[in-house]
Amino acid sequence: MMSAEPVLVLLAVGVPLLYPAMALRSAWQRAMRFALPLLPVPALMLAVATDPGWQLELPWLLNGGLWAMDELRRLFLLLTALLWTVAGIYAVGYLAAHHLRRFCVFWGLTLAGNLGLTVAVDIGSFYSFFALMTFAGYGLVVHEGTGEASYAGRVYLVMAVLGEMAILAGLLLASAAADSQLLTDLPQAIAGSSRRDLIIGLLIAGFGVKAGLPLLHFWLPLAHPVAPTPASAVLSGAMIKAGLLGWLVTLPFGETALPGWGAVMIVAGALGSIGAAVLGVCQRRPKAVLAYSSVSQMGLIVLMVGAALADHGRAPVLLSIIALYALHHGLAKGSLFLSAGVSLPAGAARRAAVWLLITVPGLSLAGLPFTSGALAKLAMKESLLEEQLEFALAGYLSPLMTAGAVATLLLVLRYLWTLTGNLESGRNPPMLAAGWLAAVVVSLVAFWWMPWNVEGLVKPPVWLPAAYQVWALAWPMLIAVALALLALVASRLVKQR
Amino acid sequence: MTLWLMAGLLFTPLAWAVLTLLMNFAWGRLVTWGGIVVQVLVSLGLWLIVSRDGGFYYGLGGWQAPLGIELRVDGLAVTFVLLTAVVASACGLHAGVYIDPDKPWHRYFWPLFWFLWAGLNAVWLGGDLFNLYVGLELISLSAVGLVALGGKAGALRASIRYLLAALLGSLAYLLGVALIYGQFGTLSIAGVVFRLEEHAVPAGSGLALALMVTGLALKTALFPLHRWLPPAHGIAKSPVSALLSALVVKASFYIAARLWLELGEPLGSLAAAQLVGLLGSAAVVWGSWLACRQLELKQVVAYSSVAQIGYLFLLFPLTYSVSESVSLQAQQGVTLQVISHALAKAAMFLAAGNLILATGSARVDALTGVSRFLPFSLFSFGLAGVSLMSLPPSGGFAAKWLLLQASLGSGQWWWLLVLLAGGLLSAAYVFRIYRASFLESLETDEFYHPPRSLEVIPMVLALMAIGLGLVSAEVLSVMALPFEEEGSP
Amino acid sequence: MTLTAWIPLFALMTSMIASVVIFALPEKGYRLRTGVNLGAALVKLALVVVMVWGVFRGVDYGLSFTMVPGVTFVLRADAFSLMFAGLSSVLWLLTTIYAVGYLEDSPNRSRFFGFFSLCVASTMGIALAGNLFTFFLFYEMLTLSTYPLVVHRGTEKALKAGRTYVIYTLTGGAVLLLAIAWLHGVAGDLPFREGGHFTDADPDIQGSLILIFILLVAGLGVKAAIFPLHGWLPQAMVAPAPVSALLHAVAVVKAGAFGIVRVVHDIYGVEASAALGLLAPLAWLAAFTILYASVRALWQRDLKRRLAFSTVSQVSYIILGISLFGPVAAVGGLVHLLHQGIMKITLFFCAGNYAETLGIHRIDEMDGAGRRMPGTSLAFTIGAFGMIGAPPLAGFITKWTMGSGALAANMDWVIAVLVASSLLNAAYFLPVLHRLWFREPAAGWPHERRWGRLETSAWLFWPPLLTAVMTVMVGVLASLPFSPLSWAELIVLREYSS
Repeated sequence: MMSAEPVLVLLAVGVPLLYPAMALRSAWQRAMRFALPLLPVPALMLAVATDPGWQLELPWLLNGGLWAMDELRRLFLLLTALLWTVAGIYAVGYLAAHHLRRFCVFWGLTLAGNLGLTVAVDIGSFYSFFALMTFAGYGLVVHEGTGEASYAGRVYLVMAVLGEMAILAGLLLASAAADSQLLTDLPQAIAGSSRRDLIIGLLIAGFGVKAGLPLLHFWLPLAHPVAPTPASAVLSGAMIKAGLLGWLVTLPFGETALPGWGAVMIVAGALGSIGAAVLGVCQRRPKAVLAYSSVSQMGLIVLMVGAALADHGRAPVLLSIIALYALHHGLAKGSLFLSAGVSLPAGAARRAAVWLLITVPGLSLAGLPFTSGALAKLAMKESLLEEQLEFALAGYLSPLMTAGAVATLLLVLRYLWTLTGNLESGRNPPMLAAGWLAAVVVSLVAFWWMPWNVEGLVKPPVWLPAAYQVWALAWPMLIAVALALLALVASRLVKQR
Repeated sequence: MTLWLMAGLLFTPLAWAVLTLLMNFAWGRLVTWGGIVVQVLVSLGLWLIVSRDGGFYYGLGGWQAPLGIELRVDGLAVTFVLLTAVVASACGLHAGVYIDPDKPWHRYFWPLFWFLWAGLNAVWLGGDLFNLYVGLELISLSAVGLVALGGKAGALRASIRYLLAALLGSLAYLLGVALIYGQFGTLSIAGVVFRLEEHAVPAGSGLALALMVTGLALKTALFPLHRWLPPAHGIAKSPVSALLSALVVKASFYIAARLWLELGEPLGSLAAAQLVGLLGSAAVVWGSWLACRQLELKQVVAYSSVAQIGYLFLLFPLTYSVSESVSLQAQQGVTLQVISHALAKAAMFLAAGNLILATGSARVDALTGVSRFLPFSLFSFGLAGVSLMSLPPSGGFAAKWLLLQASLGSGQWWWLLVLLAGGLLSAAYVFRIYRASFLESLETDEFYHPPRSLEVIPMVLALMAIGLGLVSAEVLSVMALPFEEEGSP
Repeated sequence: MTLTAWIPLFALMTSMIASVVIFALPEKGYRLRTGVNLGAALVKLALVVVMVWGVFRGVDYGLSFTMVPGVTFVLRADAFSLMFAGLSSVLWLLTTIYAVGYLEDSPNRSRFFGFFSLCVASTMGIALAGNLFTFFLFYEMLTLSTYPLVVHRGTEKALKAGRTYVIYTLTGGAVLLLAIAWLHGVAGDLPFREGGHFTDADPDIQGSLILIFILLVAGLGVKAAIFPLHGWLPQAMVAPAPVSALLHAVAVVKAGAFGIVRVVHDIYGVEASAALGLLAPLAWLAAFTILYASVRALWQRDLKRRLAFSTVSQVSYIILGISLFGPVAAVGGLVHLLHQGIMKITLFFCAGNYAETLGIHRIDEMDGAGRRMPGTSLAFTIGAFGMIGAPPLAGFITKWTMGSGALAANMDWVIAVLVASSLLNAAYFLPVLHRLWFREPAAGWPHERRWGRLETSAWLFWPPLLTAVMTVMVGVLASLPFSPLSWAELIVLREYSS
């Protein structure tokens, strides 16, 4: 093979994996810090510069390795690499001397896991990378070493281990049913297996821990606020999506209709998107609010996953939209998380600019026109139209999405509100500012050049919603703003008492 | 050639006994070394001849039975002759260094030693009941004398006790012999067997056998007739204890076993066989139990002898009315047990002697620190213990394996339990010694270090006991050689 | 005799001769002793490599002679022997290196290394034994040669542990002897043969065969530490770290497990064992042991005791694997023989390093040790994750293969056992790792020693790192030829195809 893909993919996974070796010498600490943003670069090149469709066989690896790239994986790889790059830049400015080497080691390992699992097609290496990401992620969560971080870490670890075990059991059963060591053979085998429901249940639960499925999400609001800010950004933006990717590549989408599981997921999604919003608006710390916002957003995605499970004819279209939504949310949420650590500069104009740049990605989440959010929301709405879906709960999807949109904006507003009390004034370290700005730019601008696919659901030019769509996007936002104002007034009144 | 060998075997010990009687200890030692060389060579020569040509009867001085002294030279006998040569020369060499030459009464060690050896050879080769008796008496008396050499009051008391037991045993045996002679008119075992094949069993001959076996069991210290043994073996000088435990008790057992194998089928009964087996089992259990509870090192070893002797008596039930092959297995097993116990116990007593010499105390708990500062003798002791515990690859293990097979083959599964429990119980007292010696509390070397020669001898014996298991098939094959029936009655 | 007959004997004798030479060397002959040790270890490794290559190509190595009438002493190298022999020779080399560093300046080294070599010779004999009788020979020799190692420190506690050890193992040995003798009486001298001897056993002896099987497993189960015969193992932890490492990873527990595999595969035969209804109870027992010991491990405060219970649990994986009656599960079981060895020896080396360098014995003293000893702690982390079964390490390959095998054999409940065991493993290892890496160290270590540049003595530093690398490698490169997994597949192929 003379092509560049094998080299790039081995570099993409290998470089972060070998990075901890630099920790052996304390003199290299400085180099480690500044190399953080460079680690995902090969992966970024792989995602941007190569066409999907290649594959790399590694017959010596585990039970026979196969790494490959398709449209779906490419999108996830792009998201992962981008987010880790901007967070890496941010981290250079953010990190204190406290246990710097240790942080860098876990950063590298988590990154390797996160990148590897997006390209792995054989079960062995997929699960290996997944586990690597999970366990190394613990190091990022507890990094600060406070009692709160330890507690969050413990919850994270317990749930992660339980999740890993569910995944292990599910993959084992599925692999035995398929008599294959490749992920690509699993969906069909699961659909035809006599243990179908058990396998699906295990996989949904196992990956659900990572993806923040309601009732499996407890670690999320604990872990995200205590982790260092760049780590929260990747946790929430990229690592959550790894759970989603797990679902997408293993569950039997498009094989057979599973209305039962579809219903379960839709209920779970509804619970997640609205329940998390209710809990989220009660939070006082900005990053906790964002964490609940992530759960809520993942709830919306779970809705789509449920629909795709229930209606196998519609599944291919829905999968593309899920990927699009995941990309949009990952980038936006990443930049929101990073904004939680910036300081407000002196001067009103600058302050206003900073606030603007903080707010716009938030509003993008809520579906502000001309942003990726608008596109994602519209595509989602179109894909879930009742008349195109063939199962019982299809009629509830539209109202649920609307409620979800309201919840989203409420959480964003709550985030901004809590942020006003929490942002410090002062100068930002240049790398920190650069990382955050890069995240905002990627989320708002670069998004439009990315290889997502709307399956023709949104009329071009996609960045410009049609007039009737603007209203559809806007009215939930207005409701949310109204509710927020109401809450503000109410709280004032309560305070005056 | 054979004449010279036979003469050398029986008469050199007697000649050396008389010779050393006239000398002091140091000269006696020198002369003895020469004698040992002769004996070893002669024994080896005879063994080689038998292993090449098979066994034979030999009329001493050309006289055949029933008038003359008839010797039965078969594979088993020469094996024991060789065993005696090995163990006795080891003990003799050890004693030459170990025994204090300045005590005047120690000069009697050598004559007694040689009388003992002569008696042993006479028993192994003896073909008629009276010659066996003479050999047995020679052994008993010289053994009592050797025990009395301990010199202290305790030693004298023990030797008197031993003497009484030996005389009582001889008396019972002699009574049995007299009865046999009265009924069959011959003293040759082969002759008795010949008559039994021709005629009906005379009344009362069962009693004769019982009397003889009982007398011999007393001399062998079979439970519950074992009480004389531990004091005598425990208090004697270590080389003497080694001789007594390794060879002397085996001589009386050897006679009992021969009688049983030849006469047991016609004269014995199932109940008697089982009873003897039961007593043997009781000896195994009770002897081991007492060995675990002794405070003095040599007492532990002495009680271990009581237990090990118990195994030998399993021969009686395992050869009575069973198939040919099972009987053969049992005989082979017991033979191996005799050999391996002789080697191991001699090694153990000699090593124990070294340890006592080094620590200056006879007690088990005085062994603390020995493993660090005196590992060699301890190691010999340990290796001998491996054989006593009948763990592989020792001769003790091979013996136990054959006895297990014989028990299974004859359907007498209850002996299995005895064999297994016996192994575990012996482990209990052997490991007690290890435990005491592995304890680390001393920081400095406070031991007398015995000369190398004293330490090497038990090691050689112990290694032979261990190695016996690996070559047991060859050793046993000598016994299975055809027996040339010339000169029988 | 040809060379093929001699090679197994040479492999056996290298450590035996080394042992004799070491006993003879004076206590102060430090360099010479180390040289003899390492030289013998290397020679043996080379011989094993030669045999591995030969057996792979189908050469038959073996010799036999009649030892006791009716019984032969057989040394034979088949694929399964060499798996165990390979494990023991590789880990012997590493443990020797480790032990040289560990026992620096301590008394009784001559005795220690003498018995140490004898112990390895016994292990080699167990691996190469060609029938049960020969196996038993070396099995008991192992008991005897490990006793002085267990009580090496000579403290009251050590002697007490030694007593427990001896009572358990000798009783087990007696039961085993009874079973072997009985089997010999029933069926004669049976060589180990792929496929076993009782595929169509006479119905008359089936009752005896079942009883004998139970006795065999009971006798072997003592060393394999199957519940309820595991009591000696946690106590034996008072031994010096290299001994614990060897006891747990290679010699004693593996000898028991190896013996059970031999009995099931090469004496009875899997099919016959299954037909006699013996495998299912064995599987349940193994599964129970796995869970029980893991639960017990949770409550241990002493690091080595926790590892000991972990061993009890892990060794039963081997037995579970072979008793599931399916080729894939058997591969999982057999490969764990090696995997567990490599992982557990890593953990014990590390435990020894903590004890020797910082004086740490209890888990609550380990806070922050990762920063003081990053290399050791890294090795420990890898070993612990391997035990949990985290991919792509050795333990994962075991679990995955065994799980697939259990499903193929329609034993779904095994998945639950595997998952529960992994959870428990995580529950008792992850808190230790958390302490290592994320807690702030206490004011001072209980008893710290310093060794210049490295975090500990070089003799102690490299062996655990090497075994940790091996833990990763046997997992990641599981599909290469001659990897443990491939070799286990070869063994099972030969077993199930015959």
